[in-house]
Amino acid sequence: MGRTGRGHRAGGSESADVAEPGRLPVGGRGATGAATAEPPSGGEPGPEVRHSGRLRVLRAVTGGVVALCLTASLVHVVMVFLYVAPSNQISQRYSRQIDAWIYPLFEQNWRVFAPDPESATRQISVRTENTSVDGAHQVSDWFDLTAIDDADVKHNIFPSHTAQNMLRRAYIGYQESHGNDDRSHSARALMFQQYLRNIAVERLAAHRHGTFQAIQLRVVTRPIAPPVRPRAPHSAANASVDTRYLPWWKVTPNGN
Amino acid sequence: MATDQAPPAAPPLHRAAVRPDRLGAFFATLTERPASLYAAATLRIGYGLLYLAFLLREFPHREEIWGPASPWTPALAIELFDQTGWASFLTWSSSRTYFEVCYALALVTAVLFVIGWRTRATSVLFATVVVAFHARAIFMTDGGDNLILLMAVYLCFTACGRRWSLDARRARLGASARTAGTSSARPEALGFWHQLRSSQRYLSTTLHNCGMFVIAVQVCFLYGAAGLFKVQGGFWRDGTALHYVLNLDLFRPWPALSLLLDGHQMLVAVASYLTVLLQVAFPFVLFGRFKYIVLTMLLGMHAGIAVLLGLPLFSGAMIIADAVFLPDRFYEFLGQVWRRTFHRSVATRVGALSSADASFVPPQPGSLG
Repeated sequence: MGRTGRGHRAGGSESADVAEPGRLPVGGRGATGAATAEPPSGGEPGPEVRHSGRLRVLRAVTGGVVALCLTASLVHVVMVFLYVAPSNQISQRYSRQIDAWIYPLFEQNWRVFAPDPESATRQISVRTENTSVDGAHQVSDWFDLTAIDDADVKHNIFPSHTAQNMLRRAYIGYQESHGNDDRSHSARALMFQQYLRNIAVERLAAHRHGTFQAIQLRVVTRPIAPPVRPRAPHSAANASVDTRYLPWWKVTPNGN
Repeated sequence: MATDQAPPAAPPLHRAAVRPDRLGAFFATLTERPASLYAAATLRIGYGLLYLAFLLREFPHREEIWGPASPWTPALAIELFDQTGWASFLTWSSSRTYFEVCYALALVTAVLFVIGWRTRATSVLFATVVVAFHARAIFMTDGGDNLILLMAVYLCFTACGRRWSLDARRARLGASARTAGTSSARPEALGFWHQLRSSQRYLSTTLHNCGMFVIAVQVCFLYGAAGLFKVQGGFWRDGTALHYVLNLDLFRPWPALSLLLDGHQMLVAVASYLTVLLQVAFPFVLFGRFKYIVLTMLLGMHAGIAVLLGLPLFSGAMIIADAVFLPDRFYEFLGQVWRRTFHRSVATRVGALSSADASFVPPQPGSLG
């Protein structure tokens, strides 16, 4: 094709652009070439000198902005690299500056199924408690919330975020902010508790009838069996199923 | 130089003829030659369509994700904004009507972005919409949403509306009208105005080139980080990672297919290693012919993820992002193949081909472009 470099040749190749008035020959005075300080022949010194003064300023400003763009791009690229790379001396030393640049807009996390994918399935269920008028407490059966999501995903070429991400990330957020303790020690932890509760209440309202005043969640974590290895010694199925009961949460009459 | 008759291609401002060093050549390229305009247009159309598909797909669930009655209530969202610095116009009002209007606005913006109408403004509006929706439901996002957000922001700086857009059509029609008419402005008044227009062009080209550079580097870092984090994982090193991935119910829309593939351990191991290898090696193969082979293999990988794991949004975002590495040469080559295949329509078009048309059809080597 005879082309080198990346892109069109300069000068007239930008036919998609607005026509370039700067490239049209303008008399013989080289109005576009009046970049030099000497006044062109045949023109009045007055307006031309004013022009060249303005031109100098324009050139300086343009050059400055170009340099700024270039610098900003390089800084951004370096910041993203330091943010995304595993923690090292440089990123630790400048973590405050890096965070100031990156957050919130350029926040990113590319640990997709990494370092290791989840090797356990989590099943989240909920049950409700209803206190009737005469004071009798009635506790319902466990209602599987994860099964709703799994059913939504099954045979679906474009599953919704409400199925794949909603409950999963809500519980992960709860876990990370609470640890093993179910008392909310930070504002974020309290937010996740409310979020999880709201999700459960909404699902219950959609799939079950009846009123209730409190709910309790149960999370059953089952490890996925490792692939069977033909020559490895047969390892005992260490299927340690973990069950975690979250505390009872009150639900206000309007469902929140 | 003052006595010269200005040549038709008079070099404007400071030029490489005056500073023939490499730095000058670099700045000349940076400010005069916008790179990969077709790739930018592909990104624009791709992400516009992808986001439109996403909004339409989530239409039945929109209340649950972004609406005022969502489990992540507007109050919670605002509290998070205070903590993190995000912002979203979706929380300005708790009325349902307001939300529906915003949703309609988002759909319209995505369509305008795809067709390339007043792209500079539309791209900023699109980025605002994407940021607003992302921030409102940030705990329901995944890698695909993250990438779409970054790309929407970066595309604001690029000239993604110069090809395959209404803007390009308008410019083409405007150019042919101008060559047909007369330019009647006074010469000395033209001087400063010319320079202003030239400056504007230099700046928009610089912004575009910087934007494409940042996008390309972002995608490299994405692959590199994804690959290097995987290398740290025991399952990926064993070659068993994909076995676990294929057994996660939330990412198993076709259980029969996933189980079938899971049964072939050799296949699983090869695919696991190939995944890591491709991702880690990607940034290093970009400067050579290997690029196209690796891009093709990555396309296959993303297509597999889309189908097997039910993640079409994420895969779509990655496939479109890979388009940033296809230079204009590639699209021109495709254009030539297309024309050769449809020879008869080419013969009539070549006759009518003028500089005004060159934007719609990739420029021929011998023409003005």
